[in-house]
Formats: sequence, C-alpha cells, structure tokens
Amino acid sequence: MRYKSQSVAYWYFAVAMALFGLQLVFGLLSAAKYLGPDPLLYILPFDVTKMIHTNLLIVWVLTGFMGATYWMVPDESRTELYSVKLAIWQLVLWTAMGLATIFGYFFRYGTGNKLLEQPLPSKIIIVVVMLMFLYNIFMTIKRSGRFTTTEGVLIGGLGLAAVLYLPALLHYENYVISIFYRWWTIHLWVEGVWEMIQGGFLAYLLIRLSGADREVMEKWLYVIVGLVFIAGIIGTAHHYYWVGVPHYWLPIGGVFSALEPVALVGMAVYAYSAIRRSGLQHPNVLALHWTVGSAVFTLFGAGLLGLAHTFPSVNKWTHGTMITAMHGHAAFYGAYAMIVLAMITYALPSLTSGRREQGSPVGYWAFWMQLGGMFGMTLSFGTAGIAQVYLERILGLGYLDTQLKIQIHFVMLIATATVFTIGVGLFIFDFFRYPPRFAVSAEPELKPRGVADA
Amino acid sequence: MNKRQTRLFAIGGSVLAALLFLGMTLDSHRQFPKLTNAQNISPEVTLGNKVWHANNCINCHTLFGEGAYYAPDLTKITQLRGEAYLRAYLHDPAKFYDEQKVRRLMPKQDLSDADITGLIAFLDWVSKVDNQGWPPRPLLVSGSSLPGMAMTAAQQGSTTGTAATGPADTRPTTSGDNPIAQGESLFHSASPPCAACHSIAPGVNMAGPSLAGISALAEKALASGTYKGEAKNAKEFIHESIVHPSAYLEPGDMYSAAGTSFMPDTYATSLTPEQVDQLVDYLSTLK
Ligand code: HEM
Ligand code: HEM
Ligand SMILES: [Fe+2]
Repeated sequence: MRYKSQSVAYWYFAVAMALFGLQLVFGLLSAAKYLGPDPLLYILPFDVTKMIHTNLLIVWVLTGFMGATYWMVPDESRTELYSVKLAIWQLVLWTAMGLATIFGYFFRYGTGNKLLEQPLPSKIIIVVVMLMFLYNIFMTIKRSGRFTTTEGVLIGGLGLAAVLYLPALLHYENYVISIFYRWWTIHLWVEGVWEMIQGGFLAYLLIRLSGADREVMEKWLYVIVGLVFIAGIIGTAHHYYWVGVPHYWLPIGGVFSALEPVALVGMAVYAYSAIRRSGLQHPNVLALHWTVGSAVFTLFGAGLLGLAHTFPSVNKWTHGTMITAMHGHAAFYGAYAMIVLAMITYALPSLTSGRREQGSPVGYWAFWMQLGGMFGMTLSFGTAGIAQVYLERILGLGYLDTQLKIQIHFVMLIATATVFTIGVGLFIFDFFRYPPRFAVSAEPELKPRGVADA
Repeated sequence: MNKRQTRLFAIGGSVLAALLFLGMTLDSHRQFPKLTNAQNISPEVTLGNKVWHANNCINCHTLFGEGAYYAPDLTKITQLRGEAYLRAYLHDPAKFYDEQKVRRLMPKQDLSDADITGLIAFLDWVSKVDNQGWPPRPLLVSGSSLPGMAMTAAQQGSTTGTAATGPADTRPTTSGDNPIAQGESLFHSASPPCAACHSIAPGVNMAGPSLAGISALAEKALASGTYKGEAKNAKEFIHESIVHPSAYLEPGDMYSAAGTSFMPDTYATSLTPEQVDQLVDYLSTLK
C-alpha cells in the first residue's frame, strides 16, 4: 500500500464479507424450501428469503466494487484520496440503507419488481451514495491530473451503472413497458457496464500481478469494451422475446446476444496471455488464482451457459426454468463475486498485518471449495432444469408434479451449496484472521517466473 | 492497431449499437398499444397490477416467464382456470393443495374481494398480450397431459386409489371444503377416476376428449340444434354428461358407437348427487 487513504478499502471489504455470508444463509433457506414442506411458511416465506438473497448479492458486490475502486484509484492516479471522511460516511449511509432495506423486506416493504425491490426511499439513498462516491473519485483524479485508461474504463463503468439505475425509478402503468425498462437496468448492468468494471479491475490486477506491458493491456481493454457493448446493448433483446414486443427483436436479439461471449473469450485470452507473455511473477499467487479464475469462470458461466439458451428457438423452452437459475449463479459468481474476491485477495496482505503475501493454505482451500461447490451447484440447477424442461414443457406434466419428480436435484443443490458455503466461510475467516493495518508499506517486488518464493 | 484506434472502435461501436437499439425501442413504443391491448388497461387491471406488486407475487411465480421458479408460471392462467376457481383459490390456497403431498404451498394472502377481482382482470389482460405465442404449449399447474404421469411410483403400484391417497397434486378434502376443491379431488378419486380418460389440458384427447373449456363447448352444443338432451345451460349439460353419458355424443368413432358413449354410465349410482354437483362446479371452472 503506497497511499495511506487506500486503507479505507478495508472497511468496504469487511462489510462486503459480512453481507456475502448473510446472502448464503438466505440462499440455503430458499433452496431448503424447494424441498419443503416449509415450517416458516407464515414467518419467512420463499418470496422473502429469495428477495433478501438476491438483494444482498447486489449490495455486497457493489460494496466490493466501491472498496476496490478506493483501493485502485490512488494507485493509478498516484495520489491520496480526495476525502477519506467522505468515503467513510458514504459507507455508513450505504450500509445503513442496505440493512434497513433488508429489514423492511421481512415485512414485505418493497416494490415487488424483480431485483429492483428497493422501496423509493432506499432508491433515493442509493443514488445519493453513488453521487458521493463518484464525486470523491472525480476529485481525486482531478487533483492528481493523472488519469489512466484502466481507471477510465473502471470509472466509466461505475458512472454508467449509476445512470442506468435511473430507469428503475420510473413507473409505468403498462406492465409490458415496465418490464421493457427493467432490463435497461438489469441486463445493461450485468452484460454491459459491470463488465467494464470487471475489465478495469482485471487489467489493473494483470498489470500488477504479471508485470504485463500497460500500453498493450490497455489497447486490448478497449477492444474488449467495444465487443461488450456492440453485442451486449442489442443483446438486451434476449429478455424481450416473450414479453410482448414486436417480432423483429427475436432474430436480431438471437444474433447479437450470441455474439456476447466473444468479449468473454477475449477476456479469458487476455488474462491467459498476459501471464504467459510476461516472464515476471508477483508473490501473491493466490490473487492470481482469483484473477484468472474470474476470467475463466465468466467464460463458462456467462459465455457458455448464457449462449446455451440465448437463441429464441431454445429459449422458448427453457425460459423461466431452473436453467435460468443455473446460468444466473455461474455467471454472477464468476464475473462479479470472483473479481471482487480477487481485488480483496490482492489488497489484503498490505491492509492487514502478519499475513504472508503469497496466501495461506486456508486461502487456497477457500478458493478450491468455492469453485468446486459453485460448479456442483451449476450442475444441480442445470440437471434440474433439463428435467423440468422435458417433463413440464415437452411432455406436459403439471408444474407441481414436475417439481416433485426433480427433488433429487434439489438435494444435490443443497449438498454442493454446503461445500460452497464452507469455502466462503473459510475466505471470511481468513479475511478477519489478521488485524487491519493502516500504514503505508513497501510494494512487493515482481520476480522472474519459476524462481521459488522467499 | 494502436490504442487510439481501439478506443475509436470501442466508442464508435457502442454508439452505433446504442443508436440501433434506441431506434428499435422507439418503434416498439409505436407498436406497444396494439401488442398489449393498451385500451383494455382498465382501472381494474391497474388495481390488479398494484396488488400483484404489493404482494411480491413475482418472487415466487413467473409472469411472461420472468420472476422466481418456486411456483408456476401465470402468463396464461386465466385461459386455463375460470374466475370462480381463481377466486376460491386466492381466498385460501390451502383448500386446494396439500402441503404434505406437494411439499409447497402458497401462503394465504391478505386479499379483499376487490383485490382479487383486480388480480384476475390483470392476469386476464396479461394472458391476451401478443407475446409471440409463448409458452409453446400450455403450462399446467398440476395434473398431466398424459395419463398416469402425475402419479408417484407408489400410487401407480397400488390399485386401490381412494380419496385419501389421491394423486400427488390433490389435497384430501373434507365436507367443509369449497365444492370446487372437492370436485377437483373427485376428478382423480372417483371410481373409475375421470382423469383416467380425460385430461384438462387443451387439445389433449385421450380415451375421452379433453375437458378444457368444457363450459364453452357445452354452450355451443346447446345452441347447435342437434342436441336432444334435457339440459338448459352449461352446468346442467355437464351434469347430464356425467350421469347419462349418452345424452350427448361427442362426434367421432373413438368416443361412441351405435348411439352409446364409451364412457361408463355408472357415476349416477357410484357418486352421490352432492358429489356430482361438486364435479360440475369444478369442471365448469375449466376454460
Ligand atoms: C457476467 C455476465 C452475466 C451475468 C451476471 C448474467 C446473469 C443473468 C441473470 C441473473 C439472469 C436471470 C435474469 C432474470 O430472469 O431476472 C440471466 C438471464 C439470461 N442470460 Fe445472462 N448473465 C450474463 C451474461 C450472459 C451472456 C453473455 C448471455 C448470452 C450469451 C446471457 C444470456 C442470458 C439469457 C438468454 C437469459 C434469459 C434466461 C431466461 O429466458 O429466463 N447472459 N442472466
Ligand atoms: C449457498 C449458496 C446458494 C444457494 C443455496 C442459492 C440458492 C438460490 C435459490 C434457491 C434461488 C432462487 C431461484 C428461484 O427463483 O427459484 C437463488 C436465486 C439467485 N441466486 Fe443464489 N444461491 C446461493 C449462492 C449464490 C451466489 C454465490 C450467487 C452469486 C454470486 C447467487 C446468485 C443468485 C441470483 C443472481 C439469483 C436469481 C436467479 C434468477 O432469478 O434467475 N446465489 N439462489
Ligand atoms: Fe441478459
């Protein structure tokens, strides 16, 4: 850590960790309800546990994004943050809003609009927090005068994410039109501007971890961003097929959304070649695992499993089944959970005292158990989904009867989710094991690859 | 390529894609009124839309295939179930499904009669939106288009089905229950079960014709001029079809021969008059 103000990231990461743990509690509760019967039917029904599960996901990932940005911008712009105090107040307001919103959900105080359930007061606070955040970053960069492409892509993604949240504040009498604009937020986030954010972190980490040449990395970063938007913007159509839009969205959406994985292949090749090409290696090999892991798992979860059901002729059968949940989990985890965990793992040795730079055995167990667990969850959702499509949609068995016949996959889901949760538990344990440290320290040196670590 | 050129590619490509996307968005707005029958968004539909959101329905069900995957899709529900059924169901779902058997139950919502009227109007509006013909075949909530499939292996093995062990989706009923719920249960547990020969899925004809939309068919038969039975309205027609299957013959060699229906004529004696009424109540809710 070269700048003292970077240490504010620690608190963001700590909040993100706590909320990540809580997210899984509600995921496991929701999965248990698939098996049923539900003793909590009138206390904590499925709609509430599921809503809390997905909202906590969004809140902790955004907390991680903000923390990681506060860590990265001083490094890139070579300056202290504009205001640590503002960053702290921003976190306090954000966390209080998050917890109050979740608390309200227990009483069903929400909009009933999928993934955008936040009631109006929460939405307004979200916008205020975003503005505080962007102002702080903007002033930091303005003061230093140094603005790199890597951070430009990151900030561009964050700024556009804030802008794209605005359609969520509007209300339409026509349900079809409200769905239409809901996707401007959700889809253009995860398959547009959030991929810019991921790309920015990825470039930063690869440059730091492999010593790859910045000019080359930033040139290709632009290509990736271009590919993301060329396919991703019109790719929104893969959510429009069956909601009441004109027919031309089907063929056009099929073609453009099928091109979305091109950018993700680009990202994986980008990570792989950065490491191959450069002869250098950073001692934090665990962070490298998370970084490359994120690029590869995104290609699998978002690219491959997204492509699997993005053509209208396939989506017609799989739309709104366990297949969707399969893809949602693998994609979100690979792209956004893992990139945040990569940034945390990279920053942690200098944010805490007593930690070895190269990562601990617990850290590796956390990595592999999460990966294995999430892969198993993907298979469980996937097999449940295939069975569901055949039984319910092709053979015409009733929904409820179908769900009864695929229970074994839900047992598998809970078993693999348990492995995953232990992996996350280990990560959280490893995070809090060492006390935070708020002093500037020397950066570790890159060494030629193959030379044993000290 | 250098960095300036790749930046130009990123910005230029994104702007072009965004323009094309906005163009299609504008054109869609031009077409939305017709595709969604916007003129039919009555105050009732709007109320139903509010009730739908206020009760967080989307976080268990899907609508247009979007939502959560814990409960059935409702896009076309009003084309499968009639208003009377939906009203009774929404007042108390536990009257229709047994949580011990289905392993899931919809919690009873705090809905007024007006709320329910609104919800049904909203769902009916949804079901008529031109959404490119999705779903590709009707998605049933329970039961099956194919005989026997809805039963568990144990049920298939046992030859003595009774009201207490009925198929997976039905709930054991008691005399205090809504007659529609009791009728639904009888549909599977009468001896022989109606479900052995009839499906409730549109267009799925088994040994007997599908009973989807039976009321409308009854009205048509009554008005056809060829009908010779004693029924004056759809309910009486359904009643008559159960107790005197040959009073009206469905056209086609597979359902009757020499003026006699292939359907057993034993229900007049094996079911009590109340049970027949309950079956009629249930069947007349099928759309
Ligand atoms: C990091 C990137 C991605 C993330 C985080 C992500 C996440 C999700 C989530 C959460 C959903 C469920 C949305 C809902 O129903 O509310 C979804 C749906 C979908 N995604 Fe992705 N996705 C990503 C990339 C992709 C890509 C690259 C493709 C195509 C190649 C794709 C294709 C689809 C399709 C077709 C659906 C609709 C499923 C349905 O019909 O129900 N996704 N995605
Ligand atoms: C202990 C682990 C987890 C379990 C047991 C679990 C279980 C579930 C369940 C049961 C649902 C509801 C699906 C439905 O609507 O019926 C769900 C939704 C969802 N979960 Fe998880 N989850 C877990 C971890 C995660 C993680 C780590 C992520 C992301 C990084 C995630 C992202 C999501 C998303 C995006 C949805 C919405 C999917 C959609 O609507 O298509 N979950 N989860
Ligand atoms: Fe999408």
